[in-house]
Amino acid sequence: MDAIEAIIEGAAAHADEAEVYLSGAESVGAELSRDRVRIGQAGHATGLGIRVFRDGRVGVSSTNDPSRWEACLEAALAAMRLADPQPWGGLPGPIDLPERRLAYDPAVTLEPGKVAELLEGMKEGALEHPAASVTAGSAVLSRTRVEVANTGGLRYADEQTHASCSVEAIAGTSTGFEFDASHALDLDPVHVGERAAFFAAHGAGGEPLAPGTYDLVLSPLALAELIEVVLAPALVGRNVHAGRSRLAGRVGEAVADPGLSLYDDPHLPMGPGAAWFDAEGVPTHRVDFIRNGVLAGFAYDLRTAYRYGATTTGSAVRGGYGGAPSAGFHTLVLEAPVADVTADEAVYVRSVVGAHTANTITGDFSVEVSNPTFVAGGEFTTPVSTAMWGGNLFDLLGAIEGVSAERREIGGMLLPALRLGEQRLVG
Amino acid sequence: MARYFDVRHVSGEATNIDIDNGVVESATTSFFDRAVVRVLGPWGWGVVSVDNYRGADLDRFVAEALALAELTGEEVALADAPCRVLPVPPPSDDPRSLGLEEKTALLAAVESSARGAEVRNTRAVYTERQETVRFASSEGAEYAYALGRSGYSVLAVAERNGVVQMGFERRHAVNGFPLRTGMGDGEKARETALALLDARAATGGRMRVVLDPELAGVFAHEAVGHASEGDLVREGNSVLAGRIGERIGGPGLTIADDPSLPEFGFDPVDAEGVATGRTELVKDGVISAFLHTRETLAAVGDGQAGHARAMPGEAPLVRMSNTFIENGDANYDECLEECGTGMLLIGSRGGQVDPGRGMFQFNAEYGYLVEDGALGGMVRDVSLSGEILGTLHEIALIADDRRMHQGYCGKGGQSVPVGDGAPHVLLSNAVVGGSGRD
Repeated sequence: MDAIEAIIEGAAAHADEAEVYLSGAESVGAELSRDRVRIGQAGHATGLGIRVFRDGRVGVSSTNDPSRWEACLEAALAAMRLADPQPWGGLPGPIDLPERRLAYDPAVTLEPGKVAELLEGMKEGALEHPAASVTAGSAVLSRTRVEVANTGGLRYADEQTHASCSVEAIAGTSTGFEFDASHALDLDPVHVGERAAFFAAHGAGGEPLAPGTYDLVLSPLALAELIEVVLAPALVGRNVHAGRSRLAGRVGEAVADPGLSLYDDPHLPMGPGAAWFDAEGVPTHRVDFIRNGVLAGFAYDLRTAYRYGATTTGSAVRGGYGGAPSAGFHTLVLEAPVADVTADEAVYVRSVVGAHTANTITGDFSVEVSNPTFVAGGEFTTPVSTAMWGGNLFDLLGAIEGVSAERREIGGMLLPALRLGEQRLVG
Repeated sequence: MARYFDVRHVSGEATNIDIDNGVVESATTSFFDRAVVRVLGPWGWGVVSVDNYRGADLDRFVAEALALAELTGEEVALADAPCRVLPVPPPSDDPRSLGLEEKTALLAAVESSARGAEVRNTRAVYTERQETVRFASSEGAEYAYALGRSGYSVLAVAERNGVVQMGFERRHAVNGFPLRTGMGDGEKARETALALLDARAATGGRMRVVLDPELAGVFAHEAVGHASEGDLVREGNSVLAGRIGERIGGPGLTIADDPSLPEFGFDPVDAEGVATGRTELVKDGVISAFLHTRETLAAVGDGQAGHARAMPGEAPLVRMSNTFIENGDANYDECLEECGTGMLLIGSRGGQVDPGRGMFQFNAEYGYLVEDGALGGMVRDVSLSGEILGTLHEIALIADDRRMHQGYCGKGGQSVPVGDGAPHVLLSNAVVGGSGRD
């Protein structure tokens, strides 16, 4: 009997149902300090999460020492006895899922030499802009394995690979940053280095911006920073029903420009959160949140769905092995009418400083723009030294003037660049 | 051959209680055990992070780290630094003396006190971590200590006619149990949320502002603390690099970081076994030191080691601990009077900095217009941004009412507990951002 079976059997004696989540990760990486490798790193991680249920009460506990599962189970049972009971309809049973791995590339092997190649590539790319120099960088390759099992006989496993690299550059006091991340070993480190150095070099000597109203082009990165803090939480069922979402009660209403659609596509091969099953073993499927500008629904995990009479959308995610799963997103995709967003003059917003200070409920934000520069005719033109931008993300959804054809993976999202009309900037 | 190695092993328990709209969502204890083994090879570091560490495996991990160090080409040197462990202050009130059930009941009282008319959501969260830290190095340094941190936050969300606002209070302590005395914070969160329903969106622009102690503390942390971190200075990624001895603010402005203070960022010894103590980053308006690990001290100079911190199982980085502006000789009323027309900014929703570019941004929880030295209407969603090198010169008055606040600071994927503090300060020219329009 393996550890998972032992835990399931041990839990069944004291609870109606139980779930075990077991994860393991191996990684190798290295970091640059200026243009030299300063540190080589490896990681060996394990984690065990236990969730138990009885009469609508749920308890969780976790440990990264699976041999201590009995103490962990005891803590989960104690937590279960303290929790308030809520409507609960049971854990999922097993079904046949495709065996093809969605987020796995056998080429991602944990060889230090491959990490060194990524770092060298970024350094080489940065040389294209000699005005800028590399300040720091990193590359990491990892392989993770997760297993979910429950007392209903469900037992799924998945293996994923991940590769990432990032680099920072500076020219005078102008900084640039770029990164690439993928489940496959298909990164373009030379491009990453070139872009970081470009933004650093281009921003040097930026001119102050006259306060006023400007069209903006948000890079996929800047868009992701705002969506992550404001829009994504507003689409999570628990926030909606707890009174923490401005979108509560608005399903069926227009909440964005008619051309805008936002959905989760967990089956997109190599998508950032690609998976056949979610963090509690529910089969995943496409979930529409905004369809042609109209709010279509929210993300649910089992617990929130049972409580509020909804159906799980297979959206349960875990931040790690610890804590309980909660509703989130696998691969969030934004679509809107494609336009040549950088044809007419606009202020290009590469990223924003301080997005996490936005008001997560109202959507009001006030951020500092990183690497602001004018863009026109598809080219970056005059750099701007600094700009503050305030607004409301929910209002912005109705001011979109088009998105780029190219999309980019940022965190758990696949996003285009997006053009906004008439935004107020303070220089 | 390894020139040096150390191992830092952290194990313990974490307790988390979450009460949302009157429902105990979770009340749980989890267990963690992580270690980091660092080896200095002929050039740079090899580092191995391990879950569920067993001392018997040390040799294997040292060998693995040494092999990883072969990737490096940066010659790392370590400065000599004193090794000493401060006594951990005895708990003022030990949360371990209460069971999970009693803590849940205390938190429920805070959460329910945030409820009221027009309040549509209340939520309270309690967190507690009890850690045992063991450290040993090839130089013979060896220490162990146990430390606890606990605290809570309470949120109230109010709504009227489609306008939604929130009030948020939090209190954390090292080796204390603030939840026992937290009853007033639920009401305070509710009152803030209700008051903000009537507040106007701030209109941005350049103006005079008074920062309250919490926000001024975040200002010290974001505007000065990060740019003083020795690793950023070494990389050339700080506007403060090469500026030791330069004037950055007026006489009377002193900004220090002190991990030996028993505030939320307390470390009895740093993450590489070095004694902790006070470092004055800015002394009487002049840039005087950087924050260092042994490695960055050797590479950069100017300052002292003892500022290495790490999450369990992670490699130490140069980090702030308790960062604060020292008291000045003015008082709060004088700050408002001298402000004349401008804004008083209160509380913090966090901040961020680009130390290389020297730009910072942070948000207040709310503020008040200041008119003829008196408080006027309340404003919401207001932020402050500026340049590190210019903004400190704009500090016109420093009051004498310093208070410390607790928070968490992120860097390099690691989040560590920090204390920030300051007295009220007046900035004579600041860039305020807001979503309001004239």
